[in-house]
Amino acid sequence: MFRTFDHTADLGIEGEADSLERLFAEMARGLFAVLLADLHAVRLVDRETIELPGDPQPELLLLDWLDELLYRFEVHRRVYAAFEVHLDDSGLRGIACGEPLDPRRHSLQHEVKAITYHELRVWEEGGRWRARVIVDI
Amino acid sequence: MSQGKSRFHGPLEPIGDCRWRIPKSYKPGMRVDGLIYADEQLIDQIRQDAAPEQVANVAFLPGIQFASLAMPDIHWGYGFCIGGVCATDPDEGGVISPGGVGYDINCGVRLVRSDLTESDVRPHLKELMDELFRNVPAGVGRSGKYSFSPKELKQLMAQGPAYLCDRELATPSDLDHTEARGCLSDADPDRVSPRALERGRSQCGTLGAGNHFLEVQVVDAVFDERAAAAMGLAEGMVCIMIHSGSRGLGYQVCDDALRRLRQAPRKYGIDLPDRQLVCAPIESPEGRDYLGAMQAAANFAWCNRQLLMWQARESFARVFDTSWQSMKLHLVYDVAHNIAKFEHHTTGGISKRVWVHRKGATRAFPPGHPEVPDAFRSIGQPVLIPGDMGRASWVLVGSQGSMAQTFGSACHGAGRMMSRKAAARHAQGRRIDEELRGKGIEPRAHSWRGLAEEQPAAYKNVDSVVDVVHHADLARKVARMRPIGVVKG
Repeated sequence: MFRTFDHTADLGIEGEADSLERLFAEMARGLFAVLLADLHAVRLVDRETIELPGDPQPELLLLDWLDELLYRFEVHRRVYAAFEVHLDDSGLRGIACGEPLDPRRHSLQHEVKAITYHELRVWEEGGRWRARVIVDI
Repeated sequence: MSQGKSRFHGPLEPIGDCRWRIPKSYKPGMRVDGLIYADEQLIDQIRQDAAPEQVANVAFLPGIQFASLAMPDIHWGYGFCIGGVCATDPDEGGVISPGGVGYDINCGVRLVRSDLTESDVRPHLKELMDELFRNVPAGVGRSGKYSFSPKELKQLMAQGPAYLCDRELATPSDLDHTEARGCLSDADPDRVSPRALERGRSQCGTLGAGNHFLEVQVVDAVFDERAAAAMGLAEGMVCIMIHSGSRGLGYQVCDDALRRLRQAPRKYGIDLPDRQLVCAPIESPEGRDYLGAMQAAANFAWCNRQLLMWQARESFARVFDTSWQSMKLHLVYDVAHNIAKFEHHTTGGISKRVWVHRKGATRAFPPGHPEVPDAFRSIGQPVLIPGDMGRASWVLVGSQGSMAQTFGSACHGAGRMMSRKAAARHAQGRRIDEELRGKGIEPRAHSWRGLAEEQPAAYKNVDSVVDVVHHADLARKVARMRPIGVVKG
């Protein structure tokens, strides 16, 4: 699960899941929940594979993952609402499910300039994986 | 307002003339004092978030000169606070820090004057706002009508809006009335990544979203007749104010730099209290790479605001059925408020070439300064301060006090008072657009949410910020502007 929260002039995304991989998927949903007024308006028509090199620090890998999705949204004009993530020693292999951006159906609500390093954190607590990230609006 | 942000409990010593000092003894590692410009009311709000802590943190940076400064619109940011000014000396190992510029490199403002009065425009206001909304691309994910090849983008980044003169999208007078003539000479477009080029190629001439805007304004009050006349402004005149920056290209340049500089502090033995102050010596390869890319992005931003203005001029021409030249829709000035550049300043009694970071702060050079355009040399550099969409914006001129106190800098805007979610909740059940119409302001917005989050109540009153800047002799009031039409992304 994820939720968004206030942070000064910007917005934060907080996620929680039973594995690191599901956490990455949840945080990605959180990003698109900030970009779009309604995540449910996204049809899961296409599946794209995204591969990223690993990083010993999971928060930096999380930043890279969200960065890549933001780039695909902005430049390839894609929107996504469901994700599968697989992590191993070589890095991240993600599947992003969605469709091309359609302004008639997808109402955009925030311009995310960047995924920031502020309070960027991934941690395990009580058997659950959690993360926080702030996005610059 | 800031969730999880603690109130500042450190020392804020009043030292007169709207100045508050954080002594360098506050935290070991501070090389200079922190100095915040504010009045008693503003300083109370300022204590509520951790921005003063950020002012103290910036004082750690190697090569920092005189003080870590903050303007009265200070609020919390990434590494540096918004409203922060910091000068470093390369000869003293001075550093360059992307957090001291911001993600939106060369976010800034331009003001266009006209021969139209409010009574000329009011009967056509709805049509004018419809035309502007149609012609000026705004909103999330919107691309513009100008698309540039990678080669053309490099020219834009190398030359700034001078490149657009050949395409008849800029005039020589537009360049004369732009800070740095729209071109920073250390720009190195080859330092800009392919990803940044991809993000920027169809976004030049687009407004963006968030707090960016295009406003039709009326000069509501004039405080300095001579300065207003030099700028071509008069009470009752209709103007256009544009607030936007370097779009996705600039955001990516900053992102790339933060990534590249991750290990730089350790490599150069720089101890930082906050990793978001990540930096490198200006004279290092990493420092020079960021400098070149950042200035290229800055030049791109000036092209962006030039094309936004051009589209606005065309919109006015269509609605009033006459050329923009005959309505004298001339550029008054364009200022950057997220930027860094080499400038000459006197510090410790010595004239030095220093690297000045302004993040949410505007250059405010005084009368007589050689970089102030001829037309304004006797009055000082115009300083444009956007407020919120319901109240006012300001035009000031740089004053001698800025060179003596703040490396030639003044404030940049009002600063947020209410978080985005709080503003959206505050807007529930309300029609912000109708409220603005009730005040005689015609809004056009691509996103209800965006309008709610940017409502006037979300911002501090810019008048108090400007009062401090005027009182401290950083910049002097020239005119106050009132919005009558707003385009938001």
